Amino acid sequence: MSHVDDGTLHAYLDGELSPAEARGIDAHLAQCPACRGRFDEERALITRAGELLALAAPPDRELPPFRAGDVRPLKRLWWQVRLPLAWAATVLLALGIGTYVGSGSRALMERPVAGPQGYQSRDSAETDTPARLTRERSSAEPRVAKRAAGPPATPAPAAREEVDRVAPARKATAAIPRDTALSAPTPAPAPQAGIAIFVDGQSVPKGSPISVDSARALLGADPLAVPGAPIRTIYRAREIGYSAVLIVEQALDSNTVIELLERRAAPLNLDAVVVTAAGETRAPDSVARLKEERRKAEPRADAPAARLNARVAPLDAPRPPLRRVGNLEIHISGPLPADSLRKLLQLVQPVKP
Amino acid sequence: MYRSTYRALVRFLYRKVWNAERAEDLAQEAFARALIHKPDNARGWLFIVAANMARDDARRAARERRHLTLLTAEPQESASATDEALEVESDRARVQAALDELSPRDREVLLLWDSGLSYEEIATQTGLARGAIGTTLSRARRRLVQAYEAGKAGEHVARG
Repeated sequence: MSHVDDGTLHAYLDGELSPAEARGIDAHLAQCPACRGRFDEERALITRAGELLALAAPPDRELPPFRAGDVRPLKRLWWQVRLPLAWAATVLLALGIGTYVGSGSRALMERPVAGPQGYQSRDSAETDTPARLTRERSSAEPRVAKRAAGPPATPAPAAREEVDRVAPARKATAAIPRDTALSAPTPAPAPQAGIAIFVDGQSVPKGSPISVDSARALLGADPLAVPGAPIRTIYRAREIGYSAVLIVEQALDSNTVIELLERRAAPLNLDAVVVTAAGETRAPDSVARLKEERRKAEPRADAPAARLNARVAPLDAPRPPLRRVGNLEIHISGPLPADSLRKLLQLVQPVKP
Repeated sequence: MYRSTYRALVRFLYRKVWNAERAEDLAQEAFARALIHKPDNARGWLFIVAANMARDDARRAARERRHLTLLTAEPQESASATDEALEVESDRARVQAALDELSPRDREVLLLWDSGLSYEEIATQTGLARGAIGTTLSRARRRLVQAYEAGKAGEHVARG
């Protein structure tokens, strides 16, 4: 029998020969010292190559659950609530709004508790000297308290007007001590609930690009896109509270790109999202309430109140467009006027296979 | 299926992208695609898809290299790196360099074998005859070890 070639020796050592072939090799090795020597060499070679490859193995990590709870905390920018004065600025509004409205209306109920002094003094101020009256008015806070003491669920248009007028005063007075005190007993919102406003460039970090098919599997639904505009890339992203976050990047024209943020709530979070979001965000006065919630959010953040008030959004800022389709939350952002974005949002269609 | 193949796939991908997180992402991505396509031979299919994705990823990485350089300009854990960690890292780099010296086909076969595929599966995957796998593997292993030793010797010479 002829000598055994290297390939056969390796196949033999790798256990990849058929039993009959292996018996043939055994027989040859038994009577051929040269091949026995090579056999030992090749065995050492295989061991050595295996060792080297082991040096270049990935770190042994825990097996991740398949597509479940694949989330990572991200930087929250509560205090960077700087909405664009120019229409062109891009702002991403994360869509925990429903949850936030829920917790916000609880806060609304709690406010009057600390409010009575302001309320009373304002009543007495009605008949007081003009000087005192001015002073009371300038501090604006009692008016907020009064407004909060009113019907909490559906503010009358007049009340809303008042709140809006109060805003500049609050901005001017910068830090309002009572307001901060008020916020103390209010439980801080859970990190995964609430409005997170991302300023351009600090939006949800994009992960790896993925295919439409993968996007579909991730979302458990067809990803949505604006019909007619070519999809440039679909990115995977991670955000706490969502089991899947996708960013569909579409080119409207050669220099306009829009991003559709589509999220699927994590199973754990589903209750919170559904229960509070269902009715609240669709209430007819949701725009006004959103404004209010945003105002209430200011003192609750960790940053100094002065800084907050300095950077707070103008109250008449447009509501960033959002839409819920099934259990997906979609938000479009792009260098376009907000009303155009809102129109686009109404256009979005599932990308059919 | 996921349990048994995931690690092998990450191991395979890691030797192509040389980034553990990226390898894991790609592996997840490959599984997600498998969920949709439901291929008959899922295991082999996964490795084919993974190989394609790694190749695309490498192309994209080449395009984005400048960008990446900016991002990774910050020091990478060098402050806390111990001598031991440095040694592990330089070993890994030597093996990576040695793998780069193999022909693409040899490297592919070696990596697939090391990820736990059988000769049969490797043959299907690479289009090689089953009988040629042993020969290819023996050549790949020999070159890997030689390139590694040569690289190490070269470093010592360079250090004086």
